[in-house]
Amino acid sequence: MAEMIKLFVNGNEVEVEAGKNLIDAIGAVGIEIPHLCYHPALGADGNCRMCLVGLEEGGPPLVPACKTPAAEGMKVLLDADHIKKIQHDVLEFQLINHPVDCPVCDQAGECSLQDYYMTYDGQKSRMTVPQVTKSKKMDFGCGVVHDQERCVLCGRCVRFCRQITRTGELGIVNRTDTARVAIFPGRPLDNRYAVNVVDLCPVGAMTSADFRFKQRVWFMKKERGVCHGCSRGCNITIDHNREKDQDDLIYRFRPLFNEQVNGYFICDEGRLSYRDENENRLTEARLSKTTISLDRAVTASLKEFKRAEGIVILISPDCSLEQMVSIKSLAEELGAPLSGFSDGYIKKGDGDDYLIQDDKAANRAGLTALNIDSSQSAFEEALAKAGLLINFNNDLSLFYDESSLKKLFKEKRVIGVTSRDTKLFQMANLVIPVASFTEYSGSIINCDNILQTFNRAITKNDAPLDMSEVAALLGGPLKTNGDRYDKLKKIVVSLNDFNPDTIPATGLKLT
Amino acid sequence: MSLLDILLVAIRVAFAAFVPLCFIAVCVWMERRGAGFFQDRAGPNRANIFGFRAAGLVQNLADGAKLFFKEDVISDHIQHKFYFVIAPLIVFFTAVVSFAVVPFADTLVLNGKSYIMQGIPIDIGILWFLALAGFGVYGIILAGWSSTNKYGLLGSLRSTAQVISYEIPMGLAIVSLLVVYGTVNLNGMAQFQGQLLFGFIPMWGIILQPVGFLIFVIAAFAETNRTPFDLAEGESEIVAGFHVEYSAMKFAIFFMGEYIAMFASSAIIVTLYFGGYQIPFLSTDTLITYAKPVAFLLMLGLPAGMYFFAGWIRKNNVSHYPRKNDPRVYEGNIYIKGFWGLVILLELILFAILLCKSGGAAAHIFVVLLQICTFLMKVTMMIFVYIWVRWTLPRFRYDQLQKIGWQVLLPAALLNIFITSAFVVALS
Amino acid sequence: MSAKVKTLERKGSSLAEKIYFVEIFKGMATTFGHFWRNLLDNSNLYVRHYPEVEPEIPVRWRGRHRLTSHEDGTVKCVACFMCQTNCPAECISIEAGERLDDKAEKMPVKFNIDLLECIYCGYCVEACPLDAIRMDTGIYSVTDNNRESFVLGLEELLQTPGAFSEEEYKKGGA
Ligand code: SF4
Ligand code: SF4
Ligand code: SF4
Ligand code: SF4
Ligand code: FES
Repeated sequence: MAEMIKLFVNGNEVEVEAGKNLIDAIGAVGIEIPHLCYHPALGADGNCRMCLVGLEEGGPPLVPACKTPAAEGMKVLLDADHIKKIQHDVLEFQLINHPVDCPVCDQAGECSLQDYYMTYDGQKSRMTVPQVTKSKKMDFGCGVVHDQERCVLCGRCVRFCRQITRTGELGIVNRTDTARVAIFPGRPLDNRYAVNVVDLCPVGAMTSADFRFKQRVWFMKKERGVCHGCSRGCNITIDHNREKDQDDLIYRFRPLFNEQVNGYFICDEGRLSYRDENENRLTEARLSKTTISLDRAVTASLKEFKRAEGIVILISPDCSLEQMVSIKSLAEELGAPLSGFSDGYIKKGDGDDYLIQDDKAANRAGLTALNIDSSQSAFEEALAKAGLLINFNNDLSLFYDESSLKKLFKEKRVIGVTSRDTKLFQMANLVIPVASFTEYSGSIINCDNILQTFNRAITKNDAPLDMSEVAALLGGPLKTNGDRYDKLKKIVVSLNDFNPDTIPATGLKLT
Repeated sequence: MSLLDILLVAIRVAFAAFVPLCFIAVCVWMERRGAGFFQDRAGPNRANIFGFRAAGLVQNLADGAKLFFKEDVISDHIQHKFYFVIAPLIVFFTAVVSFAVVPFADTLVLNGKSYIMQGIPIDIGILWFLALAGFGVYGIILAGWSSTNKYGLLGSLRSTAQVISYEIPMGLAIVSLLVVYGTVNLNGMAQFQGQLLFGFIPMWGIILQPVGFLIFVIAAFAETNRTPFDLAEGESEIVAGFHVEYSAMKFAIFFMGEYIAMFASSAIIVTLYFGGYQIPFLSTDTLITYAKPVAFLLMLGLPAGMYFFAGWIRKNNVSHYPRKNDPRVYEGNIYIKGFWGLVILLELILFAILLCKSGGAAAHIFVVLLQICTFLMKVTMMIFVYIWVRWTLPRFRYDQLQKIGWQVLLPAALLNIFITSAFVVALS
Repeated sequence: MSAKVKTLERKGSSLAEKIYFVEIFKGMATTFGHFWRNLLDNSNLYVRHYPEVEPEIPVRWRGRHRLTSHEDGTVKCVACFMCQTNCPAECISIEAGERLDDKAEKMPVKFNIDLLECIYCGYCVEACPLDAIRMDTGIYSVTDNNRESFVLGLEELLQTPGAFSEEEYKKGGA
């Protein structure tokens, strides 16, 4: 715990953490200081003057909160009339040339400028001269659309490209009224984290081409989740909505702050991976191309088990620990070799030193922890001997091309338990639909050995089963989550006191 | 049995069976258009056949056709399908049959033989009526119970309690009437009312028994489940009560049964208290004697009445909004012509009577026809009173209903018996 | 608190009222008066001879919706979803898209109003920042014989003309 200090806000004593600026320190106890340019990830810039607060004694009477560290005994004034007037005036200045096209602005509803206007300003424009017009709807590349008129010139986006990605594509050109954010001619945004500027931008100047006009933000429900795009396991906010007469769909992933894992940002690829949750989903079980009910699919599978001479079970490295342990027990029950072969998930050289990892599997550490063999040779050997392959959502096509897959599956029966209706699973004799990672609760271990849990965020109209439930239906002995946790604790030493309820939201670093 | 006997029996039975059925249409029509006029609306007046709307009567045909072709639903949750189906039939048949004992004209004397003008010529008519009217409620009880529906059950329970409470004052009102008339024969009662009190007041039940009349009418309203006593269906609280599960023809039978019950009870009220088929001041004997002058007067009166009626049609059978070549005017003119044709026919018949021997068979038949018309006219008026009350009074609350039944009507009826009996004893 | 108390006389306790009959007959006389008046002359009923005589629709009447358009006939709506957000019946469903003429950035590509769910409250009209949706078509009777046709689409909404002139509409208080 950081050192605590006492200071006064509007005459009331509050206890805050030392070593932070006033915005963060006082914000942590629930008192908000309006600010536009300051962002904890980017540091204070001090250009917007929205955060001006009064100091009663000692120091200058008016200071920018973002640049002022909290100090013992400070007397901060927030609700004095002159402070209110300053906030009001700063906003009036900001809005002089602002187009206020909130009706068509995607930011409306989560726009700082809008919120502050409603709280601190609320007056009609007194301007009589025409506004300065600038460019709108500019394509900055990487799916970022910029509107210069809406920009409040806080510089967050510019600083992001300089400090975080160190690519420096953005800059502010010109001065005063004509100042604007721009890219260098012919040099659009080009980095794998670019869309983060959309989240950073306090107003609607930066919008995402992907999300543009899809939904108004107030319609969407927000849920916490963990991205399964790579083994980093970035924390995300899942914005989803069930429109009238439609299914529950995800409209965007946004980064969720987690100091230990991803900080404030996520990569663009992970951000767009929400599409896989909506599209191309397997919704109904199929037996050799004909749709059947889940019950019949289970009976058919059990029949296949009996008929088969030797079974191999393949498991995806994206599965949660609970699913892995369920499938492992199923394999033991059936006496089938279990493989976690997933070399295809590793993209050599794709990762960077920031968030993106080579390994695109969300829970490879889980495979290792559960002692599931994932060598190619073992898998191919076992498959050669067996007559039936049960594939739990492992995307073999990442490793094998189509012809080698055909060769691999020759004269084999294949049961696919999957959430996605891909080519690979269309080759299977029987497929059973299961929930995808936004639709179940589970825990995974990321590349840094941090155990994270997540809860079900989406409930589809025809909600498919969790993979562990399917494993139980197919004869797996672990019927409830309690069973699964017990077994997990037994197998994995480091999970000895595993209890999903006590794992902090920010994850648990395993030793 | 001569051919004439058989013919007369056939006519009698046919009259007792078909007149109530025909009156369903009339009742429904009166109810709807009447309601309209009471409430300053027009009521249903659009349904037509080739532009002929018959003042809205065509609407009944349309409704009948609709109900007939609607899907007849018996929900799966209904366990006792037999009782469910039989219930509306009970209501319907008891209502029809209860009318069978009402005399609709005085005894017809032909060739020295007398024929009683009653569907079922029995002496204890009034008891028959009471019995059947009480039996009708079984239909309602069965319907509510077999519907396996809370609303249905509540409706039928209310109905049961109501019938029990009101049958007693009704019976007691009749008792005092019996004391006055000295007979249980309905025809006898009607004949009794043909006399004159003090030589100039018709000796109708309502004059001799005003209190009894009020009690009987109130109880009759309750028996027929009409407002203000229609708690059994109370739309506002129990949806439609006992017939909530009924659809199509089964519902229609309930509906018709109710109107027939209304007709039958109007007929009984008329018979008991309004002189039945008697024309005031003109007893049957007088009529037979003076058949010719009466016919002559009618011959004068009919065209005069028709003249005003035609004027009324001309005035009201028009579209009250700008309309080119108003088809309603054309329609009205055809009605007027038709009615004039009818009047001419009647004139001819009356003229034929003038030519016949006075006091003969023709005069007898003429008197019977005249009395039938009188009777039906009176009944129609009574039905109008039913409708009138319905569109005037709101429904009673349940406790009020029971209170009136037991605390007001019952003592009043008892008191009425004592006073009546004392008078009768004193006068005899 | 000094609430104003007005005591109303409670009816129904006098003997004449308790006997019921007096009051009943009074009431029956009243209703009969109406009946008789209308029977003798049915020309002054208090009802309109609908559908032959159509009601006069005032400017402020909330009829079926329409979407207004610019002079050149393009849709005014910018798909801001204010109407959908405010609709208490949740009967509006809009899908937004990019707008390529430079009237605005955004426009509806789908704009459905389910009239079977609409309660004609007019909140959508109030909410619209651009006067793009109005209920001034004067259409008060919406009938059809299948459910689908009650879902109005963008085209239909755009094509329905307003029933009043612009000045009349403005004067109507909208
Ligand atoms: S940036 Fe904010 S204030 Fe500006 S148009 Fe967008 S929502 Fe409105
Ligand atoms: S685009 Fe947004 S983040 Fe960038 S300077 Fe403008 S307001 Fe700030
Ligand atoms: S009138 Fe009311 S209910 Fe109908 S669409 Fe508009 S807001 Fe929705
Ligand atoms: S409120 Fe107006 S502009 Fe916005 S979506 Fe509705 S009709 Fe279109
Ligand atoms: S937030 Fe402090 S000046 Fe912008």
